Amino acid sequence: MQIYVCVKHVPDSAAYIRIIDNRHIDENITFLLNPYDEHALTEAVRVRDMHPGSEVIAVCLGKEDAEKTIRSAMAMGADRGILILTETGHDSIETALILKTAIEEDGVPGLIFTGKESIDDQGMQTLFRLGALFDFPVVTNVARLEILAEKALADAEFSGGVVKTYEMSLPCVIGAGKGLNTPKYPTVRDVMRSRKSPVKTLLLPDLKIPPAQARMEVVELIPHLQKRQPVEISGTDSDIAQKIVQILKDEAKVI
Amino acid sequence: MTKKYDAIIIGAGVIGSPIAYELSKMGYKTLTVDKLADAGEGSTAGSCAIVRAHYSTADGVAMAYEGFKYWLDWENYLDHVKDEKGLARYMNTGSLLLKSQGHDWKKVKRNYDEIGVKYEELTIEKIKEMVPVADLHEFWPVRRPEDPKFYDEPTKTLEGAIFCPEGGYVNDPTLSAHNIMRAAEAKGATFLFNAEVVDIRTKDGRTAGITLKDGTQFDAPIVVNVGGPHSFKINKMAPGVWEGCNIKTKSLRHEVMYCPSPEGYDYLNDGYHMSDGDVGCYVRPEVGNTFLIGSEDPACDPREWVDPDDFYAGKGGPGKDNVLTDAQWKAQCYRFGKRVPTLPVPNQPKGVVDLYDCSDDWIPVYDKSDLPGFYMAVGTSGNQYKNAPVVGRMMAELIDACEKGLDHDKEPFQYKFKYIDRSTDVGFFSRKRQINRNSSFSVNG
Repeated sequence: MQIYVCVKHVPDSAAYIRIIDNRHIDENITFLLNPYDEHALTEAVRVRDMHPGSEVIAVCLGKEDAEKTIRSAMAMGADRGILILTETGHDSIETALILKTAIEEDGVPGLIFTGKESIDDQGMQTLFRLGALFDFPVVTNVARLEILAEKALADAEFSGGVVKTYEMSLPCVIGAGKGLNTPKYPTVRDVMRSRKSPVKTLLLPDLKIPPAQARMEVVELIPHLQKRQPVEISGTDSDIAQKIVQILKDEAKVI
Repeated sequence: MTKKYDAIIIGAGVIGSPIAYELSKMGYKTLTVDKLADAGEGSTAGSCAIVRAHYSTADGVAMAYEGFKYWLDWENYLDHVKDEKGLARYMNTGSLLLKSQGHDWKKVKRNYDEIGVKYEELTIEKIKEMVPVADLHEFWPVRRPEDPKFYDEPTKTLEGAIFCPEGGYVNDPTLSAHNIMRAAEAKGATFLFNAEVVDIRTKDGRTAGITLKDGTQFDAPIVVNVGGPHSFKINKMAPGVWEGCNIKTKSLRHEVMYCPSPEGYDYLNDGYHMSDGDVGCYVRPEVGNTFLIGSEDPACDPREWVDPDDFYAGKGGPGKDNVLTDAQWKAQCYRFGKRVPTLPVPNQPKGVVDLYDCSDDWIPVYDKSDLPGFYMAVGTSGNQYKNAPVVGRMMAELIDACEKGLDHDKEPFQYKFKYIDRSTDVGFFSRKRQINRNSSFSVNG
C-alpha cells in the first residue's frame, strides 16, 4: 500500500512574525514541519509497519527551503519524499489540485494522511478538497485509527468531549489530531539515514494543473493583538488550587 | 528630597542580591535597583544554574568548591528567612567531566588535587554503567551538522571521565535570587524594581549616586555595577570607568535546548550533570524528564555579540533576537545525539535564549574601578551562577576594605574563604589584568 502524507512547511510558532506589504510575512524565520503533520507521519509509519510491502511518501508544496520539512518527515520514518516547487502561495483549492496531481503522477494512494490543520493558515479545508477531488471519504481530528482489510475505523474528536467513530471505505483521507499518538521524534541516526533518502522534485508547470474553477486570495494580513489582563490569584494554597481548577474548567474549558 | 544610602547595587540578579545581603549584614544601608519587575528575572532566569567545580584555574576551582558548600547549606546561608515563594533546591546529581580533547581535564585534575576537591576517575565501563544510554566513542573535533564530516563514523573511544560526587544544579535560579533578596531585606536592605539606571552621578571626583530613567535620584558614596549583560553600558555611564578597564565586557547570545530523555531512561532522577567537550555540550536534568543541553561554545559556532536592550526587546532578527534558531537547535541536539544515540530530537526547537555578560578572557571582573566608590562584579560569562554567594561575601569585604583605605590595585585584597582553608587573591579578577591565557575562553571558565 502506498501511504501518502501531505506535509506543510510552516513558520515556527515561537518566531516573531512580521507582516510585510500587508499581505505577506517576513520569511526570514525558522520554518518547520507542521506539528499536526507529525501525528500524521507517526500514524502513517505505524500503519506501514503493520502492512508489509507498504511505503510512506511525504508530499510537500513549497519553495526550495521546504526540502528541510521533507527531510524531517523522512527522519520521522517516511521512505521518500516529493517536493512540488512553487514560489507563490496557493489557496486550499489549488493546493488540493496540485497535491492530487502529484500523488497520481507518483502512484496509487491506498491511504492519505494530513494534519487536521496547518498552524499558519488554519484553513482546515485542503484535506476535504483533496478527498472530494479523489472521491475519497474524509475524517478529521482523528484520535484513533484502525485499518482493516477493506475499511478504516476512525474515532474523531469533537468539542465538548464528543467522540464519533466512523467506518470508511479505503482509500480514505485521515486528518490527524493531537490525540492520535505521541509523535515519534527522530534520533541523529534517523536524521543521518534521511539525508540519503530520495526526494523527487517536481516543477509546478510540468504537472499541467487544470485551472481551478474558484479561488481565494488573502487581501490583507492584520496582526491580531490579544489583550491580556492578568489577574492575581491569592489566598491559601488550597484556595489558589481551587480557583485555578475553576478557571481551567469554566473559562479555558480545557478540563 | 533625595534619599541617601550607604551603597547602591545595580542589578538584583543572583550576584547583585548576595552583595546587597552581605553589605547589609555588615551594617551598610543598601538600595538594590533593577530595571525588571522582581529579583532574578534578568539573565539569572536564563541560567542553567549548574554547580560544578571544574574550572581551568585553581582559583576558579576553589571558588566553585566554596560555593558548593553554600548551596548545600542554603537555609543557614539565608539565616532561615521565610520566602513566600518557597526556597530554591540544590539537586546533587554528581558531575561527570568526560576526558576528551575538548577539555584540558589534566589541568582540572591538578586543580582538584590542589584544592582538595573529592573526585574519582572512571573507566569507560563504569561510565556505561552509570549512563547506560551513552555511546562513548570519540567524536572530536566538534563540528556543525552543515559540515558533511559531522556524520563520519567514529573509530576511537574516549579515555574515561572524572566524577565529582559533589555537583549538580539549582532547580530554580530566579527563585534562588529571590530567596537571597528576602534574606537581605531581613537585614535591612531595600530593593526597588522597574527602576532603570540612566546615569551614575559623581561629585568631587568620586561616586555620588544614580539617576533613574524617570528622573528619580538616589545618593550613595558607593555604587556597585552588577548589571549582568548590561554591565558594559553601566560602566560607560560612570566617568572613566570603562576607559580604566583593561578587561572589557560585552553581551553574548547563548542558546540552551530541551530534549526529551530517551524512552525508558529516567534522566531526571537517575542522571548526572555532564560536561562533554568531545561534542561541545554540557547537560543536566530538567523537569519533564528532559535533557537541558547547553553549548560549550566550540570554535566552529558563530558568536553573536548583541545589544542587550535590542535583544530583550526581540529586535535584531533571527540569530540576534531571543528566539531559538533552527541551525543552533540542530547543532546542539545532534551533537549530543551522538553521545546519546537514542535521544529523540523534536522538530520544533524548545529551550532558552539569553545573554552572557562575557569578559575578554571569560573570567569575571570582581573589582573596584578608576572612579572612587564605584565597584563592579561583571563579566560572569555564563559560569558564575554557582559562585554567587561567595562573590557576594567577597565583594562586600573588598568594598569594605577599599572604603577603609586599602589600595586594592597596589595591594590586592586577599579573601579568606569561609568553608575551605584557603585564601584567594582578588587581584586575580582585576579589571587591570592582562588577558588570562590559562582560561578556557569558554563557558567552562
